[in-house]
Amino acid sequence: MKPVAVTGLGVVSPFGAGVKAYWEGISGGTCAIRPITLIETGGFRCRIAAEVPDSLGGSARRSRADRFALAAAREALDDAGIGRAERADTALIVGAVGGGMLEAEAWYWQRARGVAAPLPRALASCFPSAHVDVVGSVLGIVGPRETVVTACSSGAASLAMAADLVRDGVVPVALAGGVDALTRICFMGFNTLKLLDPSPCRPFDRDRRGMSIGEGAAFVVLEEVERARARDARVYAELTGYGMSTDAFHVTSPHPDGEGMVRAMRAALAQAGIEPASVGYANAHGTATPQNDRIEARALREVFGEGGLLVSSTKSMIGHTMAAAGTLEAVATVLALGHEVIPPTARLENTDPDIPFDCVPRVAREAAVEHAISNSFGFGGQNVTLVFRRGA
Amino acid sequence: MSGRRVAITGAGVVDGHASGVLSRLLDETEARRLSRVCQMTVAAGRLALAEAGLAGGTELALLVGTEFGDMVSTIRFVDDYLQRGIPGLSALLFPHTVMNTMAAATAIAVSAKDLSLTLNVPTVAGELAIARGAAAVRAGRIEACLAGGADEPPQLVLDTFREAGAGADVRGEGAGFVVLEALDAARARGARILGEVVGEAWRALAVRPHGVGRATRSRAIAAALAGAGAASAEIGLVYTSANGDGPREAWERALLDEALAPHRPPQRSLSLPAGRHSGLAARAVATAATEAGAGLALVHAVARGGNQVAIVVAGPRARAA
Amino acid sequence: MEPKEVFDELKTILVTRLKFDPRRAVDLTLETTLPKGIESSIGLDSLDFIELSIAIEERFGIAMDESADLAPHFTSFDTLSRFIASRTAGA
Repeated sequence: MKPVAVTGLGVVSPFGAGVKAYWEGISGGTCAIRPITLIETGGFRCRIAAEVPDSLGGSARRSRADRFALAAAREALDDAGIGRAERADTALIVGAVGGGMLEAEAWYWQRARGVAAPLPRALASCFPSAHVDVVGSVLGIVGPRETVVTACSSGAASLAMAADLVRDGVVPVALAGGVDALTRICFMGFNTLKLLDPSPCRPFDRDRRGMSIGEGAAFVVLEEVERARARDARVYAELTGYGMSTDAFHVTSPHPDGEGMVRAMRAALAQAGIEPASVGYANAHGTATPQNDRIEARALREVFGEGGLLVSSTKSMIGHTMAAAGTLEAVATVLALGHEVIPPTARLENTDPDIPFDCVPRVAREAAVEHAISNSFGFGGQNVTLVFRRGA
Repeated sequence: MSGRRVAITGAGVVDGHASGVLSRLLDETEARRLSRVCQMTVAAGRLALAEAGLAGGTELALLVGTEFGDMVSTIRFVDDYLQRGIPGLSALLFPHTVMNTMAAATAIAVSAKDLSLTLNVPTVAGELAIARGAAAVRAGRIEACLAGGADEPPQLVLDTFREAGAGADVRGEGAGFVVLEALDAARARGARILGEVVGEAWRALAVRPHGVGRATRSRAIAAALAGAGAASAEIGLVYTSANGDGPREAWERALLDEALAPHRPPQRSLSLPAGRHSGLAARAVATAATEAGAGLALVHAVARGGNQVAIVVAGPRARAA
Repeated sequence: MEPKEVFDELKTILVTRLKFDPRRAVDLTLETTLPKGIESSIGLDSLDFIELSIAIEERFGIAMDESADLAPHFTSFDTLSRFIASRTAGA
């Protein structure tokens, strides 16, 4: 299938605003998971997360997630040099889960405690779909606009959907990404499911005890390869294929054999027209729950064998940023290809013997890789794999 | 629009006011575990697949449009905490706080194992899911899909919209899907063809969030007609998204008038009196196909905030191959 | 608390938190099994078991040890009632 060029990147991460800060953080193996300051955590078993440092600016009238999305989207458009005129024919696809829920919660909590809080605005922008309307109207993007919710793989699904529109010739350029701010609901819910490690998460470690949550946003500009070449744009990488599948097995547990994950990875490789052996790096979903990492490793082994595939988890440094994760990790994959440096799995001391891969423990690895994949899996068994090829 | 032809082979709609049908369509665990909106979605999916005579599997995809997701369960999850503290938090309710919960429940219930996408947008979500599903079948990315939408509007949110002056419209609850598949494959398996989706497009119009626009030029309708290879004169009937929101309806009429001028085909809406919900798009597409007979119909929706969807539907007797 | 009393409480939890039809709760016996997939069980899955543990912690004031394998205690109403009774007696 026709590849699509990645010509712009934008990030708001727990390392702060900007792609540069993000790459310094993850290539340095820095863990950004700390005690939570945004919401009350008293009485809960886990009280840490990877929060975005509070220096973003932007209008206080906007939700925290909208501010993340705007900053990352603007950086990506500027990076790719997509001007106002072109934006009229640019698609905008956002993966989101929490929307403006953090602010809506604040209002609802006050209301429940009998504090009169006239804040209907927060509710009107609490849905995931709020981001495309804000980003679209502020940045003047009036092509197709869509909001996709596939739980923890939303940020990867958005890139796949944007690639469809570019390949089908609906638009020449698309801005796609994912965003989520921390919410009480997410924090309380994962605590309730006992899926959170009270200490910073340790993907692939034999002593891993669960995930850490995080927040952020990332956007990429995707465009026709010919168009990017014609305008001499910098091509970070090409999105050569994707695969999406559904386990249809259980609402919170992956299929024990990783059957749906395998189908997503194989479909992505088939679309990219490459053999498993051509892939040098897998940016794993790698949440650090005992179950996910074991089953993902099983699926990776099923597809790639136990060969020299390098596997690492960005979540070891920025936690699970929910709908942003799929895009933040796609950006990590693209940067790894370009820099020829594989970001590590931080805090990995003893790799689980059930995980037969080099998981790049603690320190980044220099490696020139031609093809890499990024895996994202979500509640409901929603699997997405993206395949990238290094830019020419 | 190049690519495969897209057949409509089934439709299933469960309206909230007719939800007595649920007990017949759900098993004991689904009745116990699934929220109301999830139950309506599962039931609508089953009805649509039964009409199409299609089974689940790795070649069945799912596209669910929704405006509110399962906000009713989300509010219940939060209320449990605010009333009883940490022990009140429900593990069973938490997955319902993520909007893809209806898609997840339906995928499990009907074994839809290809891609599953939940699309969130105010008031045009069902149309968007159907348009995207049709485009994916046409391009050969998927073989077949359930495409439609579901909603259960929470009273709290409706009250708040009304206070903010954005909620004069009539909202209902319900779920609905059409089954879309490649026409050749549908014929090969002997399926009854209810009609075809012959063109689809979705675009944004420049307008502030929650606002109603003044521009009347519509790229979505033009693109959908171009994809269908049809002239505006061929559209014999339009299903609109009219829902009682006066300014928005006036805008929709102006968009349609300009896109179809000088023709003014009859316009209908399914929203009243029971109220508009994201599942109605499936009924609009299926009904439009039936009524189009040997001709073409347009299913159109535009939302406050500027999201616009146009779907050109051909009747079962149109363009017989 | 006696196992019989515990069983009655568990039936209430089944209705209030696991959303079983009250008529279904009437038919339950101590021999009724819990996990999905085994004979004559009420079909609980992993998520149901998390909900059930939370409810037990709340109702009986005991803390479940997450590192221990509690599955044998969650086999039937009989094993579960006796487990809870022993834990509340020791408290």
